[in-house]
Amino acid sequence: MPAALDEPTRALLARAAALEKHPLARLISVVERDHPGARVRRAALFRHLAAHAETYPRRGRVIGVTGTPGAGKSSLIGRVALEVLATDPTASVAVLAIDPTSPTSGGALLGDRVRTSFPVGERRIYFRSQATQGDLGGVGRRTFAVSRLLRHLFDFVFVETVGIGQSEIEISALADRTLLVLQPLGGDHVQFLKAGVMEVPDAFVINKCDEAALARRSAHELRTALECARIGADGAPLPVFLTSAVSGAGVPELTDWLRRETPHQTRDGQRRQERHFLRRAIAERYGAFGVAILDEMTAAASPDGAAALYEDVEAAALDAIAARVR
Amino acid sequence: MTRPAHLLVDKDGRPTRDAPWIFRTYAGHTNVRASNTLYRDNLSRGQTGLSIAFDLPTQCGYSSDHGLAGPEIGKVGVPVNSLDDFELLFEGIPIETINTSMTINATAMWLLSLYVALAEQRGVSPTALQGTTQNDLVKEYLARGTYIFPPKPSMRLIVDMYEYCLHAIPRWNASNICSYHLQEAGATPTQELAFALANAASLLDAIEARGTFSHDDFERCVGRVSFFTNAGIRFVEEMCKMRAFAELWDEITRDRYRVQTAKYRLFRYGVQVNSLGLTEEQPENNAWRILIEALGVTLSRKARCRALQLPTWNEALSLPRPWDQQWSLRLQQILAYETDLLEYPDLFDGSPVVAAKVEALKEAARAEMKVIAEMGGVLEAVESGYLKSALVRSQAERLARINAGDTLIVGRNRWTEALPSPLLGGDDGGIFRVDAASAAETLEMLRATRSRRSQGEVDAALKALVDGARAGTNLMPLSIACAKARVTTGEWAAALRSVFGEYRPATGVDGQHLALETPRVAAVRARVEAWARAHGQRPRLVVGKPGLDGHSNGSEMIAVAARHAGFDVVYGGIRMTPAEIVQSAVEEDASVLGLSVLSGSHLEVAKLVLDELAAQGARDAIPVVLGGIVPEGDMPALRELGIRAIFTPRDFDLMDVMDRILDVIGAPHDAPEPRVASA
Repeated sequence: MPAALDEPTRALLARAAALEKHPLARLISVVERDHPGARVRRAALFRHLAAHAETYPRRGRVIGVTGTPGAGKSSLIGRVALEVLATDPTASVAVLAIDPTSPTSGGALLGDRVRTSFPVGERRIYFRSQATQGDLGGVGRRTFAVSRLLRHLFDFVFVETVGIGQSEIEISALADRTLLVLQPLGGDHVQFLKAGVMEVPDAFVINKCDEAALARRSAHELRTALECARIGADGAPLPVFLTSAVSGAGVPELTDWLRRETPHQTRDGQRRQERHFLRRAIAERYGAFGVAILDEMTAAASPDGAAALYEDVEAAALDAIAARVR
Repeated sequence: MTRPAHLLVDKDGRPTRDAPWIFRTYAGHTNVRASNTLYRDNLSRGQTGLSIAFDLPTQCGYSSDHGLAGPEIGKVGVPVNSLDDFELLFEGIPIETINTSMTINATAMWLLSLYVALAEQRGVSPTALQGTTQNDLVKEYLARGTYIFPPKPSMRLIVDMYEYCLHAIPRWNASNICSYHLQEAGATPTQELAFALANAASLLDAIEARGTFSHDDFERCVGRVSFFTNAGIRFVEEMCKMRAFAELWDEITRDRYRVQTAKYRLFRYGVQVNSLGLTEEQPENNAWRILIEALGVTLSRKARCRALQLPTWNEALSLPRPWDQQWSLRLQQILAYETDLLEYPDLFDGSPVVAAKVEALKEAARAEMKVIAEMGGVLEAVESGYLKSALVRSQAERLARINAGDTLIVGRNRWTEALPSPLLGGDDGGIFRVDAASAAETLEMLRATRSRRSQGEVDAALKALVDGARAGTNLMPLSIACAKARVTTGEWAAALRSVFGEYRPATGVDGQHLALETPRVAAVRARVEAWARAHGQRPRLVVGKPGLDGHSNGSEMIAVAARHAGFDVVYGGIRMTPAEIVQSAVEEDASVLGLSVLSGSHLEVAKLVLDELAAQGARDAIPVVLGGIVPEGDMPALRELGIRAIFTPRDFDLMDVMDRILDVIGAPHDAPEPRVASA
């Protein structure tokens, strides 16, 4: 019999759901933490959330934001988040910003708060920094877990990646919509095409468009580059937004598009995502050996096994691997 | 007959001695009444120029009744809200003859406008005014932090002032290129040379780009560009640095800007000698350091400063008292009038040692300037964070050398045993304290100004300012009109903020690494790992820089050091309200919150932060530590409030600081070296 959610965590959840900042912060730490007993507590939390879907619906949509360092991702997210609040008095927004962990010390400098300034005491907006903890893919080891939790508590969850150049596939696996933020005439369009990163986003944003002529030229260059690479050849071309996080130009249009075009995650989508991140976690710890066992296990599972909780599948997989090791 | 080389002669060939430089003291505090008294006293004691320190709200463009202003009114300088304040500040001071230097940057145009309005009101022609507005935004972005607007509009305001001053106030230095603050932020002599000259070049480029100056006018503008430098304890090198400055400036203005008139190529500079090297330990020793540093900028006639201001022996402890400032002024007077220094031509011409050292500095500076030029100039190098990171790295290396004992500092890392200093006795404990009640007088004056003036005139003047800002017209005349209408500092800045926006520069923490791998670091990391294993996450340190004090280098050093030790560090940048800092700490589930306060407002800030934490229900969950210039006498009160650890300039060993922070969060001592990194 899986453990029920302990009373302190249950109380924390109730206050976090009311978007009280300190309980919310501590609840996120419950999900992020990694020591004996943490997985059990986390499983109990998510089981509780699944069992009380009417109280904690998975209503939140996750938007991934990636792009080169210096493209102004944080400032742009700040502006879009404030625009969401201003145009919808009931909406709530969480921002999860990822910074890299130092390989030598294990510590991290989480500096994205510098570039946003949110109203003090506003419960509808919440900012949290996270370190990658050595993980690749532009998102952190615990980003998936935290975004899973935040889907229950906020309407929009923005996830800002470390930057570009690594496998940005991870962010699109995590998000319902992914934006790629570029600088005007950064000269990096071609680099992206080479790197295959252009296949990741659902829309492009050319930020720092404070001068109209420069912005137009950049947009033209990007569109030409996209055509050459036949991105979006299957249908409509991908949208390109021109924004300025300084003046706020283009922010309403981008916000409006996100609101209209970001789908709510489907049950299937959720399962696929959980499979992806479980596979990744197993691969990281047990390599191809572990992944093979996981795949065997999930292939053998009955179709309605898909309804099982992520944590249960994870526990089963770890048990199966442990059994083979013995 | 050739004249003996040691004789200094006037233009008629008669032996003479040089006139001394301008003696200044950087001063201002409490309110305009108290500062006026201070200035008049200083002038009566033989000071020959004024150097006005403004408080942080004035520097950042807030009136004294703004929410961010509260704890800072009159702390590090004088508060100025309107022309009414200027009338009182300069009462009984002949502004037509006195040379006035204002340490003011983002709001420089505003303060100069007040000065012009005051002159006109007194019937003094603005053409008689002489002095300097500091007005260097590059070093604000890099080191000092009292910027408001983004680089482009900031540069436009500066060029507006050059354009206006050229004919209307021809003896005014519209701006100073400051390398002073770069050295305080850790710059090496090479960096000081290169960054300052690149900065000056960017200014001249902007003046040229305006396209409204004839070449003659442009040359005269070049002639008005002055510098504000620093002089450290390595006084031979510093003297050579000043000669290198003069030679490079002559070279740049002649070759790159085609300035034909030799006198407009002169390197003119004022100087404040180094405060960074002054120690809190055995503070009386600082008197000698200040004297030696003064020699670096006076010994060589060719590279002698035009104006000199000296810090005081107790500056590492607190703001100076009038007596402390008098003692520093006396040093200048003895040097200029008792000694024979001013009776000789240059003492170092022909010295192969000096020539070679100057050449080496110039070579290195040229190379660094080339790097900056290839990035697209100094503004780009600011925005990309390159310059800031370079400074933070130099500072970290400087501290590492002190920690390792490679750089010797008497009383700090050698000969630390000493008799207690009798100078620290007396009722005031040797330190100065601003009377907290004095802000009431400032606020009352501001209220009276608002009630007396014509709101219609104010609105019209501000509207004209906003329209002019949008249209690109010169904003000096419009600002002078605002001054006369009794617009306030906060209103003037808010009008321009609405057009230009506000700037958030790159911080010095980006891309920084400490090159420090010692057993001490390993031991601290082991404690961090042990804590992380026990808690299932790394300790999270939120670093907060409250209020308007922009001296961010200390907090950035701590942030970088903490990451190096293995903390997850959240750094939110400068100019945050206590409520914003607490919100950061709460949202990030901080294990510990570190505050950095250098403005002297530590007691007020600590109370505001702890109260806000309590209001958020996180008072017990998040311990608070504080670093800054905290006098010994304030420590019990801070501890009483609930501050768990206090760090002062005495705590220069970064790993000691980390150890004490780990004590606060309950990390075990003697943690075993971990075999693998914790998951």
